[in-house]
Amino acid sequence: MQQTICHTDFTIVRQLKTSPRHAFRFWSDAALKARWNDCHTDWTVLSEGFDFRVGGGEHKHWRMPDGEELAVTLHYLDILPDERLLYAYQMTHGGVRLSGSLVTVTFAAADGGTRMDYTEQAALLVGGSEARAPRLAGTGEGLDRLAALAAEGEAA
Amino acid sequence: MSAVQARHDTPPLSAVFQALADDRRRHMIARLAARPRTVSELADPLGLRLPAALKHLAVLEAGGIVRSAKAGRIRTYSIRPDALSDVARWVAQCRATLTEAFDRLDAAIAEFPDPEPEQDT
Repeated sequence: MQQTICHTDFTIVRQLKTSPRHAFRFWSDAALKARWNDCHTDWTVLSEGFDFRVGGGEHKHWRMPDGEELAVTLHYLDILPDERLLYAYQMTHGGVRLSGSLVTVTFAAADGGTRMDYTEQAALLVGGSEARAPRLAGTGEGLDRLAALAAEGEAA
Repeated sequence: MSAVQARHDTPPLSAVFQALADDRRRHMIARLAARPRTVSELADPLGLRLPAALKHLAVLEAGGIVRSAKAGRIRTYSIRPDALSDVARWVAQCRATLTEAFDRLDAAIAEFPDPEPEQDT
């Protein structure tokens, strides 16, 4: 049951067709963020909260169609309006914590729009039969479930 | 035969790195992390013609990262479950999910433009 922690990081860069000020609103305003962040129309929301300020956070707790529960908890560490945000989040599936990450999002005026850089530095909790089962198992079944999770994301 | 098969199941690291050393192939992997896809589903978002896409997919297949199956006339590619480490698979899935979320962000911005656009001076 010993868990191993693996570290990794990745960056996604996007060019947005609006000002940094307006792009930032899609992260800071609950209703605008929900427009693009909530995609799981067939998931049941069990609880949720949104408090966009340093020291505040966000949480969402779902029951998925397969009956499993997924929870994401996020804490804002630094907010510089229209320029950047820094937050930590952790994800729990079926009561098992899967990962903890530090995320930096920056917004910079570029080419008449906004260049948005999303960098995630993650500590993945792998190993231990229970922890592996939901998402990271190297089995077909585990991958099917992973693929189903990802497909939920693109269905909306 | 079984020895050859076993070797094929664990391609040398150089083949894996070669497979990953291309933006378009990484894009394909990210899309395949979501679900199996046909060649044209993989080619279209990249603006690739089918023969070019098939060449990239052959590199990924040689690297042991994807496998293909033919059902009737449709060839479908999927990620080999044992292909990537847990970490690489996690990143691929995370990138795929975020890329789709950011596509929705683009759409949301188009739908709700800035009510008070900044004046250029």
